[in-house]
Amino acid sequence: MNRPQPGRRALLGATLALPFLGRSALAQGGEPYVLGTLFPMSGPNAEYGTVFTAGAQLALQHIEADKVLKRPIRLQAEDTQALPQQAVVGMTKLANVDKASFVLVGFTAVSKAVAPVGDRAKIVMVNGGAVGPDLSGLSPYFWNTIPLAHLETEALLPYIVGERKLKRIALVYVDDPLGDAILGALRDGLPKAGGTLAGSFSVPRTAQQFAPVAARIRQTRPDAVYIASFGAQQSQIIKQLRDNGISQPLLSYSAMNLDSVKNTAEAEGLIFTTQKTDFAGGDAMTKRFAADFKARFNSDPGTYHVNYYNAVWLFGQLAAMNEAAGRPVDGETLRAALLEKREFDLVGGKGRFDDKGNLTAAIQVNELRGGALTRIAG
Amino acid sequence: MIAYLANLATIVAIFGILASTLNVAIGHAGIFSVAHAVFFGLGAYAGAQTAMLLVPDPLLALLVAALIAGGLSLCLALPALRVRGEYFVAASLGLQMVATTLFSELKPLTGGIGGLVGIPRPELFGVTITALPLALATLALILLATHLLARGSFGRTLRAIRDAESAAEALGKHVAVAKTLAVAFACAGAGMAGALFAFHMAFVNVESFTLDQSVLVMAMVIVGGTGTLWGPLLGAALLLALPAGLSFLPFIPPTEVGAVQQILYGLAMTLLMIFRPAGLVGDLGRGKVAH
Repeated sequence: MNRPQPGRRALLGATLALPFLGRSALAQGGEPYVLGTLFPMSGPNAEYGTVFTAGAQLALQHIEADKVLKRPIRLQAEDTQALPQQAVVGMTKLANVDKASFVLVGFTAVSKAVAPVGDRAKIVMVNGGAVGPDLSGLSPYFWNTIPLAHLETEALLPYIVGERKLKRIALVYVDDPLGDAILGALRDGLPKAGGTLAGSFSVPRTAQQFAPVAARIRQTRPDAVYIASFGAQQSQIIKQLRDNGISQPLLSYSAMNLDSVKNTAEAEGLIFTTQKTDFAGGDAMTKRFAADFKARFNSDPGTYHVNYYNAVWLFGQLAAMNEAAGRPVDGETLRAALLEKREFDLVGGKGRFDDKGNLTAAIQVNELRGGALTRIAG
Repeated sequence: MIAYLANLATIVAIFGILASTLNVAIGHAGIFSVAHAVFFGLGAYAGAQTAMLLVPDPLLALLVAALIAGGLSLCLALPALRVRGEYFVAASLGLQMVATTLFSELKPLTGGIGGLVGIPRPELFGVTITALPLALATLALILLATHLLARGSFGRTLRAIRDAESAAEALGKHVAVAKTLAVAFACAGAGMAGALFAFHMAFVNVESFTLDQSVLVMAMVIVGGTGTLWGPLLGAALLLALPAGLSFLPFIPPTEVGAVQQILYGLAMTLLMIFRPAGLVGDLGRGKVAH
């Protein structure tokens, strides 16, 4: 007979039951604040999830070491694969099962998908990775600890056109709100700065072949090429532009601050903007962050590490304000505390939040040399 | 916890509709489409635009979504009438790729990659409701329709076409009509699932309607059991509940959560296919290698 054997059934059953083992042990661990993360921890964007999480983990270490809060914090990670559907499932779990009051998010589609859920549950959602301008004001509980992309582009233009005399800029941009925002910033900003947009070339988000784009860029005879993309596509664009004869300087924004880009030989000389962070000569908080990051992860920190460190550090500061005032720590009181204080000491210097919860921070221009960043302006 | 389970149940019901309707094409008519997410997307955009531009009436949105997705099913039915087997898979793959690009580019209708935000919650007779009861009711209707369809002469015609198309045609069966109707039913159902998805998520963008989604729905049908009534629903529940359940594993460090979950997920699926190759509720004798 073709009946499954009992041993096989047991093996199958055990595998399916595995997720539900061990919950009771977790539930016994006191009453920590639950800080959720909705990052891609698998799939093509998993590198971002690892980077984002590292910044958050270091902030938790510092909050615990400094005894900022009376209660511990538990980090509850949910894998989104950078997809909206998975993100909503994860957000609903964080809201209703884990009772998180503060959730870290990244990626535009994920942010937009979870914003209604967080808004209804009054959970603070903080983005430190996605830079689309349409993320501003998604909800009173949706904040950004990263300057949105068009602000970075606007900050780059005076240096590029004024100091480097790179006046004709060609743009390769991913066809989404991020790319559209950077296209708009270059269209408006370049003439004001004394430059021109020599050409703009949109690429689908999933594209991996850029040789035809390179050929069209060469025809526009630009002084430099701005790349507005993110994820695994970035290194491919850089490599294929260089392989296809584009020798002009390449420009971009903070999404390039990834090891996969730094380790790409063709990225040598890449110029891109990030938030202003002087790890060697900055304030004590910035230097402590850089030193402890190096000690814990054996690598130099990047922009995303800073953003998510700042997001979690901000939670510590806001929760401490509420603890001191005898208020509960939830989305509403965290928002009230943010609007009450507005300005906080963060890695990179003082950060100020506007009414919509957007961080305004100084921008610096970096150049990639020998796999490391050198600040060249700002 | 109840809200979380309700959310999960809504998504399972929506994907249950998707899998059950795809099962009509795959399990009954033998049309292996890898473009089901296209019609899911058409329904989602149609439902979202109806709710945003007209009224957030879910019945109207479901009707509009079914009509648009069912009407445009000819895009899938036409190649299905001309080619079979792996050739049709390639044709439907092309349709999926074209549709994904159109979803990204038709910004006035779809919002492009940025998608459509601010889709209102469904209102029935002036009362705001959640998507769960709608999804469950639609699922029940689809399952009933599938059951009646499979039991009747139309179902027998489809199975005859699936098993031996030339023989069915020789016996006087209207192969073209039967295939077209089966595809229209499957696509209209997928469109309804899309409208429900838009109401539930309050946000839709092209990333929910890619080839990966089509493959996932096909996997639900195969894991549950092709040609069965309950198999696709069970497959949808398993494939959606398993990753959700894996997120409860307490011992996985945050940086490894994705990798460990994917390994366990893949392992469970592999074991399932080894021990139940015909699917969870499929005929145990099917799919095994003869010794």
